[in-house]
Amino acid sequence: MSKELEKAGLPVAIVSAMYPVAEQVRANRIVKGVSIPHPCGDPSLPPELDARLRREIVQTALKALESEVTGPTVFSPSMAASG
Amino acid sequence: MRLELADYPVKEIRLGRSLRYESGRLEIDAANLEALILRDGRIREAALAVVRPGDNVRITGIRDIVEPRVKVSGNGQVFPGILGAVQSVGEGRTQRLSGMTVMATAAYEGTVRTGLGVQRSALLDLSGPGAGASKFGALLHLVLVMRLVESLSELDAHCAIQGAEMAVAQRIAQSTIGVEPAGVETYDLSSTPPELPKVVLVQGCLTDDHHVHSGVSYYGMPIRESLATVVHPNELLDGAITVNATRCIGYFPITWDWQNHPLMLGLYREHGQRLNFLGMILQRIRYETFHGKEVIAQNAAQLAATLGAEGALVTWLGSGNAFVDVMLTVRACERRGIQTVLVTYEYGGKDGIDSPLLYYVPEADAVVSTGSRDRWLELPEVERIVGPYEQMRILSYPGAPVAEARKTLTLDARDMVVGGVDNWGQESWLCTAY
Repeated sequence: MSKELEKAGLPVAIVSAMYPVAEQVRANRIVKGVSIPHPCGDPSLPPELDARLRREIVQTALKALESEVTGPTVFSPSMAASG
Repeated sequence: MRLELADYPVKEIRLGRSLRYESGRLEIDAANLEALILRDGRIREAALAVVRPGDNVRITGIRDIVEPRVKVSGNGQVFPGILGAVQSVGEGRTQRLSGMTVMATAAYEGTVRTGLGVQRSALLDLSGPGAGASKFGALLHLVLVMRLVESLSELDAHCAIQGAEMAVAQRIAQSTIGVEPAGVETYDLSSTPPELPKVVLVQGCLTDDHHVHSGVSYYGMPIRESLATVVHPNELLDGAITVNATRCIGYFPITWDWQNHPLMLGLYREHGQRLNFLGMILQRIRYETFHGKEVIAQNAAQLAATLGAEGALVTWLGSGNAFVDVMLTVRACERRGIQTVLVTYEYGGKDGIDSPLLYYVPEADAVVSTGSRDRWLELPEVERIVGPYEQMRILSYPGAPVAEARKTLTLDARDMVVGGVDNWGQESWLCTAY
């Protein structure tokens, strides 16, 4: 879907927990998501931490949209490391 | 651990008044078996039917299938943790009725109406293209047709269906006690000629840890999020691994498949001849983060290396993102110097031109395909339905259209046919080069 949108002239940042799969299909701007059921946040965190994480993921995605890339590039929100 | 599996092939099943096995003919005490099923108050109606290969019949509402077996010596009983106490199995002597199955069918609506936990049932044709699409098309079946009481929970429905099929299977296998078998196979891994390569079977299992039954059980306990572990293949032969009996789908192996795991049996056949079979690694897959997938892959490869494996067969069950865990496992094994072969079904779309696999790694340089899950199938009208559903939904979403089960059915994938997806390479395949 992101490739088709880009063909139509819209830059796309895809937030995905399965970022290597997004790389494999050659999406250009890939943002590391948290987890398959909740890529854009983490409901197991306290609400204020989850809000910070969600803001950071969105800001990372906006930064990705502004970035010039020449192929699949992964952008990592610093809080979103799982473990 | 040494297990003798004594074989009693069945050529004919007759519903009669006594339970008896004699030279391939099995007579069944139908009234007693129906009473045995109805001892569970969650089952409202029960009837038995015999279905043979070639019959102009479609079986509906299939929930699970088992091969009748009984232990006559050694620790425990078949289906440990379900039919009896949790006792280590895989030793002694087990007797099997081969060439036939006990097939549980049940009408059950479910309380979960959509999503991955929704109840599903499968169908099977015994003639025409549907029979050719499943290995079960060539077997004799004792079909239990059950109706459950209203408004049962998924766990109650599972326990009722599974309890009935396993009790019936064990009971009819008792007909072989004291009878001379047609043959006896011995399953023993103790002799290991040092010059032969050591090979392990890595079995990835998609489980849904948030459902009441996760999909795969070990000694009756559903496997949830967990690290990989080692099981002895003989435990499978005695029914230590079982499945959710409310969700029968082509790409989820059923209990019969675990009892007759073709890769396990194939490695056993070669044991001591071409290779040393080290055993089986049971690996839970479908972790929800990429980190989790990398950890479980590394964990299974670490276990394989600790066992001394020089080669690994990696296979799986399930669908979707769980395949990423599988591919990462192939890579982790290869990176440890373990030569690894992946055995998997393909997607490919109904015309075979879409991507066959969801994800791949360059280390997966030896892959055996067990055919496409996606090919459409047209099932012609049949004379007779056996099973609880005369009408059925081909798709499982709420409000999906209802079709006459006996009429021509067009399926856009093999998911609805029991045995319709050859997960572990049980069948012989022809390959066409285009």
